[in-house]
Amino acid sequence: MGLGLLASRTLRTTTILSKSPRIFASQDPSNALRSIVSTPELQNPEAAAAAQPNPTPDLPPRTPVAGARVHLPNPDDAIEVFVDGYPVKIPKGMTVLQACEVAGVDIPRFCYHSRLSIAGNCRMCLVEVEKSPKPVASCAMPALPGMKIKTDTPVAKKAREGVMEFLLMNHPLDCPICDQGGECDLQDQSMAFGSDRGRFTEMKRSVVDKNLGPLVKTVMTRCIQCTRCVRFATEVAGVQDLGMLGRGSGEEIGTYVEKLMTSELSGNVIDICPVGALTSKPFAFKARNWELKGTESIDVTDAVGSNIRIDSRGPEVMRILPRLNEDINEEWISDKTRFCYDGLKRQRLNDPMIRGPDGRFKTVSWRDALAVVAEIAHQVKPEEIVGIAGQLSDAESMMALKDFLNKMGSNNVWCEGNDMHPCADLRSGYLLNSSIGGLEKADVFLLVGTQPRVEAAMVNARIRKTVRATHAKVGYIGPATDFNYDHQHLGTGPQTLLEIAEGRHPFCSALLNAKNPAIIVGAGLFERKDKDAIFYAVETIAKLGKVVRSDWNGLNVLLRNAAQAAALDLGLVPESGKNIESAKFLYLMGADDVNLDKLPDDAFVVYQGHHGDRSVYRANVIFPASAFSEKEGTYENTEGCTQQTLPAVPTVGDARDDWKIIRALSEVAGMQLPYDTPGAIRSRIKTVAPNLLHMDERDPATFSASLKPDFCQKMSLTAFGTTVENFYMTDPITRASKIMAQCSALLLKK
Amino acid sequence: MAFTLRSVKVPPNSVSLEEARHRTFDFFRAACRSIPSVMEIYNLHDVTTVSQLRSTIASEIRKNAHITNPKVIDMLLFKGMEELNNITEHAKQRHHIIGQYVVGNQGLVQDFGTKDQGISNFLKNFYNSNYF
Repeated sequence: MGLGLLASRTLRTTTILSKSPRIFASQDPSNALRSIVSTPELQNPEAAAAAQPNPTPDLPPRTPVAGARVHLPNPDDAIEVFVDGYPVKIPKGMTVLQACEVAGVDIPRFCYHSRLSIAGNCRMCLVEVEKSPKPVASCAMPALPGMKIKTDTPVAKKAREGVMEFLLMNHPLDCPICDQGGECDLQDQSMAFGSDRGRFTEMKRSVVDKNLGPLVKTVMTRCIQCTRCVRFATEVAGVQDLGMLGRGSGEEIGTYVEKLMTSELSGNVIDICPVGALTSKPFAFKARNWELKGTESIDVTDAVGSNIRIDSRGPEVMRILPRLNEDINEEWISDKTRFCYDGLKRQRLNDPMIRGPDGRFKTVSWRDALAVVAEIAHQVKPEEIVGIAGQLSDAESMMALKDFLNKMGSNNVWCEGNDMHPCADLRSGYLLNSSIGGLEKADVFLLVGTQPRVEAAMVNARIRKTVRATHAKVGYIGPATDFNYDHQHLGTGPQTLLEIAEGRHPFCSALLNAKNPAIIVGAGLFERKDKDAIFYAVETIAKLGKVVRSDWNGLNVLLRNAAQAAALDLGLVPESGKNIESAKFLYLMGADDVNLDKLPDDAFVVYQGHHGDRSVYRANVIFPASAFSEKEGTYENTEGCTQQTLPAVPTVGDARDDWKIIRALSEVAGMQLPYDTPGAIRSRIKTVAPNLLHMDERDPATFSASLKPDFCQKMSLTAFGTTVENFYMTDPITRASKIMAQCSALLLKK
Repeated sequence: MAFTLRSVKVPPNSVSLEEARHRTFDFFRAACRSIPSVMEIYNLHDVTTVSQLRSTIASEIRKNAHITNPKVIDMLLFKGMEELNNITEHAKQRHHIIGQYVVGNQGLVQDFGTKDQGISNFLKNFYNSNYF
């Protein structure tokens, strides 16, 4: 379902890419001198001779399915097969189905999925192979040299028709009430390959529905036993929750005992299910896929920046689906990303408000709200003005906030999560330097004070993929937590870190013997007082294990918030540690996770944001802003890849985009910022952090951390803490979401 | 009368800009001719005058003065004709006419206070809506 779209997108880019050389090639002969010889073969006798004995039929060149490309590392290992008479060169070990894809023939399939192991049980991909007595299942058959594959013969067609008839035997005909209708592989393929009538007259079987939790709805009678979900759960998600029970017609998918599916990636089984057996529970009976408008956007609930498609109908976000991005999220997204959207409809701020003397908020016009704030901002001393950007802020608004506060004479501006981290000088000091895709090359992981499973589920999925593929070792320092791959719990605090740095720990040998060791430091450590000492210890380990080399940079920081990397790039770091204590005018731009206990009682708090979350209780003035689904904003993810959200739905009520509010306020306050358009604000960003303009590109850090001066500070021996208490509720949107509340009630391990 | 017109085939497209221009004038004349009866139907004598309505129609047409594609002009003329038919058939109510053609889109309350003087276009647009 999602795959088709992903595929077409990739295809589009490849055709665009391949277009230019083709045009060039076609121009070439016409421009060159034409020789006056009537038979062109005489010009190049060898080629003509080679062409003569092998009269290949004049086949048009084919475009591979979904832009599939073959990389032949060793030309000797290449074999040639013929798909419907069309020769293709493929590497050894590819299956017949993959060879067909390279040749541009799409083979129908249900159980085969390119990111999962091969099951070969649906039999839909049967093709005819010459000299084979029976049609073969192409997904499970390795291609052999000289194989003549025929995908369009009567035998293959009849085989598919037969398989379809068997599958539909026990599949209910409830497409009109099925949520998969319109994006169902079975529906599509029965139209394309099925018979026009069935011969089955008995009763269909029925299967009891399973309860998989608040996210996945099951209608098990529709299941065709492709086992994609079972393979996804065991291989990618790393939970052994799903399995196949029974044999023959009694075969069914289920949890072995009554149990919910407790994985942070469980929503992906909805996408990979080819029929309507596993569908989205919150989306059930809400909309049909052809009514929805898809907007390609970016997820902001964590620092990974998963690529998503926001499906909306009118002013409402109906669902969120993953988009293919091999470097970041492959084709999966976490449950928080997928199901947080109902939070966009609750607790929204829709009008500017001022708190009256009785402590209640009164709705006012933008004109009045801006005038009040501008007046108060001029009454306080410049150094008493403090601005904090929230974890969902985009780069444009953070730039505007910093410029505005600087114009007011204050430089106390930072982003949530960076309040103790003044070291923004070197990008390598706060980025995931190996890149998310690059983690697959690592063979030893050392996780310091980070729980990737809850902090960045997609990074964790990448580590799990590596561990599964190469048996990479994982060492973990931090409080006891849940991993879905083999790991060694080395210790809980800085003590262990010091032992490794001094070479006294048994894990050191693993680190030293590793080819590509990767150290991942959690951004939660930024909040410790002794963070410099910890980072110094980590760098010592990096030096010891040769983690940072010219060809491999394995010293990584895993950030927590979507705004964090861009904020550090733009220089939103606090000047000193005690800013909030002395603040008289606090500008919160969507910052809800700051501790306001130490804020003086007479401080004036402006809250600009989209949700009535924690900070609103302390705010004096509220400016309603737009959420990530409603604005165009630049975000940089933890590996330094700049991406952009696009508006999918209109803003709520009288809300405005974040940067526009600050731009308007600056004018009312008499400190007009010099940009009126997103383009102008981006050219301002270009002077500060040009990498934020390179859309969809990862800009790696240029200098490595070795340029930093040595630093020695006493490390406190308190153990590392847990950064994210509740995976499902980390930001204003997810805290307002009902589905996320249900998940945290049911699925969190207590 | 107009209901019978509806069953009649849509006239063929204007061949040239000249023909479209000619049709526009025809339409304007037809609209002007219907103004007195419209004033009567909707009882507009105490809120507006014939000349005011005429200039409203003229300005509505001038709004599209930049369009040069005869097909588009034909489409707009068709829409205008529909609107005119609706009005003369009494398919609308008095407040529709007053709202659309007497008061205008800005509404009765028009804020031309001194407050907005000296502020940038950005801020003016900002106060109006998020989309500009």
